[in-house]
Amino acid sequence: MQALTLIVILPLVGFLINGLAGNKLGQKAVAVIGCGLPILSFAITVSMFMLLMQTGEARIETVYTWATFGETSFAIELYFDRLSAVMTLIVTGIGSLIHIYSIGYMKEDASFARFFAYLNLFLFFMLLLVLGRSLLVMFVGWEGVGLASYLLIGFWFEDPVNAKAGKKAFITNRVGDAGFLIGMFLLYNALGTLDLDRINSAFLAGPVAVSASLVGVFLFIGATGKSAQIPLHVWLPDAMAGPTPVSALIHAATMVTAGVYMIARLNGLYLHAPEASTLVAWVGAATAFFAATVAIVQTDIKKVLAYSTVSQLGFMFVALGVGAYGVAVFHLLTHAFFKACLFLGAGSVIHALSGEQDIRKMGGLAKRIPVTFWTFAIATGAIAGLPPLSGFFSKDEILWFALASERGGSVALMAVMAVTALMTAFYMFRLLWLTFMGASRMDHEVEHHVHESPFSMTGVLMVLAALAAVGGFIPIPHFLEPIAPLPKTLESMQAYHVPLIGLAIALGVAGLVAAAFVYRGDLALPKRLRESFSGLHALLSGKYFIDELYENLIQRPLHWISEKVFLNFGDRRLFDGTLNGMARLANASGGVLARVQTGSLHLYILLVMIGSFLALVWSWAHG
Amino acid sequence: MDKAQLLLSLAVAMFAIGMVGVIIRRNVLVMLMCMELMLNGVNLSLVTFAHQSGTTVGAVLVFLIFVVATAEIAIAIPIVLMLVKRKQTLDPAAYTDLKG
Amino acid sequence: MEAFLAGLDSLLLYIFAFSALIGSILVVVLRQPMRVATALISTMIFLGGVYGLLGVHFIAAFQVLIYVGAVMVFMVYVIMLLDPRDPAVKTRFSPLVVPGIIGGLLLAWALVHAVHGLLGNVTSTPARFGLKEFAVSFLNEYWLHFELTSVLLLAAVVASLAVIKGASGRNRG
Repeated sequence: MQALTLIVILPLVGFLINGLAGNKLGQKAVAVIGCGLPILSFAITVSMFMLLMQTGEARIETVYTWATFGETSFAIELYFDRLSAVMTLIVTGIGSLIHIYSIGYMKEDASFARFFAYLNLFLFFMLLLVLGRSLLVMFVGWEGVGLASYLLIGFWFEDPVNAKAGKKAFITNRVGDAGFLIGMFLLYNALGTLDLDRINSAFLAGPVAVSASLVGVFLFIGATGKSAQIPLHVWLPDAMAGPTPVSALIHAATMVTAGVYMIARLNGLYLHAPEASTLVAWVGAATAFFAATVAIVQTDIKKVLAYSTVSQLGFMFVALGVGAYGVAVFHLLTHAFFKACLFLGAGSVIHALSGEQDIRKMGGLAKRIPVTFWTFAIATGAIAGLPPLSGFFSKDEILWFALASERGGSVALMAVMAVTALMTAFYMFRLLWLTFMGASRMDHEVEHHVHESPFSMTGVLMVLAALAAVGGFIPIPHFLEPIAPLPKTLESMQAYHVPLIGLAIALGVAGLVAAAFVYRGDLALPKRLRESFSGLHALLSGKYFIDELYENLIQRPLHWISEKVFLNFGDRRLFDGTLNGMARLANASGGVLARVQTGSLHLYILLVMIGSFLALVWSWAHG
Repeated sequence: MDKAQLLLSLAVAMFAIGMVGVIIRRNVLVMLMCMELMLNGVNLSLVTFAHQSGTTVGAVLVFLIFVVATAEIAIAIPIVLMLVKRKQTLDPAAYTDLKG
Repeated sequence: MEAFLAGLDSLLLYIFAFSALIGSILVVVLRQPMRVATALISTMIFLGGVYGLLGVHFIAAFQVLIYVGAVMVFMVYVIMLLDPRDPAVKTRFSPLVVPGIIGGLLLAWALVHAVHGLLGNVTSTPARFGLKEFAVSFLNEYWLHFELTSVLLLAAVVASLAVIKGASGRNRG
């Protein structure tokens, strides 16, 4: 069994065992299998990584040759180079940590085994996605993680709200997948292959039969669905209905980054698609900006983090759009660290407060659950971009390339991202203050039971916080240089490189100070602000009413068409009507023809006479 | 007019008159008698053709038709009798039980 | 003498044929059933005369014997059984008079057209249709048909008995 295949297969084995026999094995065995196998995958990944560093060449493994017609064939092949290595380490590493966290979080749940089975299934598909050599294998993983996401969002399916959220996620993803498929068709038609490395080299070698921008746009549509960019971002906030470890793993660290990975992987194509790249950059910027504005007024702890994720993904797409693919992956890595830490911290808070998620009913938790508080604080500082935490390094790089990249950088772009960074710092510190600082606004019953989470949860938090702190020193952009070279920067902007760093720090600090100022004490100031800007507040609370827009623009007409056109007209009138009409016709004609049978003998004989006369005439006419 | 043609024309005329009679008379017994008239017309044509051909086939067929006509009348009359006894009238317009 | 006899033959043929035609028209036109029966009898007798003139004397004999003597007598009995005040006697014609007559004319025209010119001149050869020749061929070549006629007559007897018996059985019950 080859090593890469093993990495992918182990979680699948975990899914099968826990899925089929989990209920009979007992919680301990399920936990051991469910966490042990991903950890094993991680270990193998690390060893493969060392091997890669030694030999320096990419590793290709053929798992299975799937379809052969004539000379072409589609094979399931796994491809391990630097980019895949980074992604696989993230997926297996953070995945394993979150699996361990889930042991403590889901302890009371009756469907413990099903949860671990679904998590392992998700890991299997995600690994297929990042290790696949051809777009086809990647697409299988793409769809599969969508399925796993649906299963896990609707994990507590007895509540129809959760099931509805799962459906929404899946269907919105499918809309994006249509674009992905069209991109795949165009590529295959022009190049005759779907292998990612071959696609890249084909575009780098010279002009290709299909417009790179066209393909790029279609593939990006797929990415907007999976990575929750405008206009297909609507599913991510609703996906918070799932258990918190799910939100952390799938909707923060790994699945939503699939779009980023895909574009980074196809950098050869996007380097020759300036229009598509511009679209990517500005969609990313718009998404980042608008998601940040909505996050400022959210009152559910997980919803704030959800919009924050959408916004940070926008940052990554901006980096991709200006050609800084390595920087985007760098931000992906740091984001995985601090966002997972934030989500798991939120899970710890919810666990401590016996299920409360409304931040208006929290406060004063810093002293009561210190480990959770400090890890949350470190991660918040990371996302705000305070040095020397990891987020500072990656976000600064993005700002720099947004300004100075030769492939689309501009002052306007950087300005939007800078304002977004300020808002990011502001709402994250708002979250920190409202949750942990100040006087307690908790219900009395809840306050009584506040307790720190078990070590299986806090241990993971500590590891992630440490990574969020020092992860910025991992030189990812430099490491990925051979695969995804960084774009050249404009000469005119070189002077602003260092001042930009200062600006980034200033934005982070400004956000911290503003939040501390607004949300201190008895929260009279936020209340006054809300009343003064009530219109704006309503708009932001309603998420710009995009869901309502989709409902009226798309769902109602579709419903109307289904009902009026297809059901009433097509099915009832056309099909049933035709059948019934034919029956009625037979009936009527029978009735008419039966009039010949009058019972009158005279008529019968007359008809015989006429008939024989006609027969005679006919026989002459035909000789 | 040549003999055979005269007789054939007569045979055709008797046949047609017989058929018309079945259609236009309102008495079931008269209808039966018109059917006998039709048979006679056919017989006449057969005899004429037999006379022409010179073989005995025609005459044999005529004889057989006699027999069949007799048998037919022997059964038709009792049926008519019973029908009349049921419907109390000789008018075929009353015999419309098979109206569809 | 020969010419006279031949001329007499033709004249008689014409007379008989014409009378048969008149008789058949009367069958359709007369009001009372008894008179209709009489007209039919006369038609049949004239036809018998025609057969005789054609030289097939035995068929003429059978015509009068069977048709007039058995069939028409039976019909006359039945007519005598039925009530003369039957309303059918009052109204002679059915509603389909006009279509019937038109159809009849059409049919006659079509049939005449069909048989027109089928025959050449007639040569009467009485010797070929003597009773002897007829009987010989009937019982030699057509003996199967002969036997079948006896079966048919038996069937007719049984059937008429069944019809009468069945009717009276139902009436009694």
